[in-house]
Amino acid sequence: MSEQLYLCVHAAEFPAQALLRLRPEMQSQPVAVLEGRAPLEAICALNRHAERRGVVCGMTRLEAEAIAGLRLLPRSTESEAAARAVVRECAAYYSPRIEAASYGTACSYVLDIAGTGRLFGPPERLAERLRAALATAGFRVSIAVSANFHTARLKAANSRGVTVIPEGEEAAQLGKLPLAALALAPDQAETFAVWGIRTLGELAALPETDLITRLGQHASMWRALARGEQAHTFQPIEPEFALEEFCEFETPVEEMESLLFVGARMIDCLVARAASRALSLASLTLQMKLAEGRTHSGTIRPALASADRKFLLKLLQLEFAAHPPQAAVHSFNLSAEAGQSSTVQLGLFTPQTPEPSRLDVTIARLKAITGEDRVGSPVLEDSNRPGSFRMGQFVVSTNASTAKTDGPQMALRRMRPPVPVSVVMQGDRPRKFRDAERSFEITAAYGPWRTSGCWWSTDGWDADEWDVLATTRQETSIACLLMLDHTRNAWQLVAFYD
Amino acid sequence: MSLAMTSSSALRIQIEHALERRFPSALTPVPRTIRETATTGIAAVDALLDGGLPVGAISEVVGQKSSGRTSLALSFLAHRTLEGQVAAWVDAGDAFDPESAAANGVSLRQLLWVRCRSASAAAKSRPWTRLDQAIRSTDLLLQAGGFAAIVLDIGDTAPEHASRIPLATWFRFRQAADRARCCLVVLGERAYAQSSAALVVECVPRQGMTAGETVLTGFSFEVRRERQRQLSNVQGIRKPPASMWSATCRWAQEERA
Repeated sequence: MSEQLYLCVHAAEFPAQALLRLRPEMQSQPVAVLEGRAPLEAICALNRHAERRGVVCGMTRLEAEAIAGLRLLPRSTESEAAARAVVRECAAYYSPRIEAASYGTACSYVLDIAGTGRLFGPPERLAERLRAALATAGFRVSIAVSANFHTARLKAANSRGVTVIPEGEEAAQLGKLPLAALALAPDQAETFAVWGIRTLGELAALPETDLITRLGQHASMWRALARGEQAHTFQPIEPEFALEEFCEFETPVEEMESLLFVGARMIDCLVARAASRALSLASLTLQMKLAEGRTHSGTIRPALASADRKFLLKLLQLEFAAHPPQAAVHSFNLSAEAGQSSTVQLGLFTPQTPEPSRLDVTIARLKAITGEDRVGSPVLEDSNRPGSFRMGQFVVSTNASTAKTDGPQMALRRMRPPVPVSVVMQGDRPRKFRDAERSFEITAAYGPWRTSGCWWSTDGWDADEWDVLATTRQETSIACLLMLDHTRNAWQLVAFYD
Repeated sequence: MSLAMTSSSALRIQIEHALERRFPSALTPVPRTIRETATTGIAAVDALLDGGLPVGAISEVVGQKSSGRTSLALSFLAHRTLEGQVAAWVDAGDAFDPESAAANGVSLRQLLWVRCRSASAAAKSRPWTRLDQAIRSTDLLLQAGGFAAIVLDIGDTAPEHASRIPLATWFRFRQAADRARCCLVVLGERAYAQSSAALVVECVPRQGMTAGETVLTGFSFEVRRERQRQLSNVQGIRKPPASMWSATCRWAQEERA
């Protein structure tokens, strides 16, 4: 018994399948894919519903448009490349040795599954599981298993469902296939037609020497293929693991709901592919081609890598809400970075903290309400400039703080932006000041505290600060910080002590 | 008398039995429990409040400008973050000063700061006012859970606007804070939460402290307990409802060190 065993997975009409798998709403309609330059476009792929309406490959756009209800889509090489990667990814789950065997508009991969019986059971079960996995990813495929590489390839391309060919029955299984399965040149096909040879079984029955005498050495290979005896040196590809999904829209899309609908499907596929390698999604990068040649991009980076579809879809929805595309969307590309699935070990005595995935959604919602740069942890700048800080990302840390508390200290409440005030001086000290609404009588002023810096740059500062105790006419007393900005020669109310 | 009590208790049991499916124990008062408190870090205030601010409830710290309410809230947050817990500051007026927070000992890494912006500065698609943004943000944070303390700072919001916050909102906050075991501290000029607040303290400025009449070194404040829903059983009857405390300026601390 041979130790070789090959499985061929074949997706026919691949340009149509690649376009329809992310659009479930169109899968029940007759759809055909056009390629070529206008006005010489011709149909290159179609689905079953279109086939039932009498559509065939090679029809021109004019002929196709005459068929009622037929939807015509332009061919997208980007969608096909992304779809091929998905098929390869699904196949790679069952065998690391994969050879590309695509031709024409079909997508075919042959897997070396010798020795996988103990992992996945008999070849029939493996083939059914692979077919189900590809169906979940949106592909309709046929699968053939054989000890001969080419037999598996030819049988998968010319049959439906799953076929397992026992060793020694290759010729019998291939016998009924049409001669067109060998993809012969037109003159050679014509020769066989004149001889009355229409199936591989009839070709296999011809004497080899006479066949070579009449058609040359190539005929020996065709005969071996027809008999299921053609040898093959397996050339495995090394697929690069890239999580990427692409969708090109038939017409520019403006509604967020439509984008989210496609985005949800993409996230489902990305999560499933990552999960097949026991990985999660650490980040999502979206790129869109918009009308008028513009582009839109964004990144979603959850605090922890996640494989939760609903959570990632919520983040995508909030990203759209915070940064909506500025024009109609032509195409949508979603790529992901894989990360290790995170597990959090909780402790009995560790303080309660927000759940990371829930916190991500909360922060995204807060940003949608207040603004992108308005939510986070404050980080003090290494500068002497009063009130300098920047907003950092808020990350939950359960480590106890090392900060020391030396008792309560006076806190400031900043005015952002500072309020311009007019000040009445008595000698060199302020006596009264007035803002737009009220006037204040200064009871005590401590200062000036001079501060300056960055004089060499345009954002330098030079100011006198005064700690001021003041009262209003209503006998309300306040403590505040007044600043005389020397660069603009203007007084400002910077903050209140509170 | 005894007969009357027996008949009333029998009547109560009858009514409770009739309403059992819709309202279990309808006429039986819920047993009161001593609520957990979290220290404010100021001994005088903790003594006044029986240990600090209640956990899982709304505490209102009210007062005018320069009354020490922000210093009190920062001191409270410093002790919460010192325990490794996370906190949030919802800043309706964008008045929070990170330097003051750090000086009070707040671990800024464990603090989520939400800065509301004015409607004119926000995009047209976000027409909410600062107060509305603050309420929505607080709601989201309470629902998210895991925050040991949330400060809703509406100290710069005019009372005539803040008074319009519906009581249903405060009631919802109270329920959410209770579920999340979160101290919700509301800084305002007046008390707005009414019956939903477990504690209301009023801050009053007293006087500034100076060194040689040239440098301002600190302030002293008075804190009055206006309302406290659950007093512990061990509390004295004649305990004074007010207490004095003081906050120093940062430079005074440095000079002392």
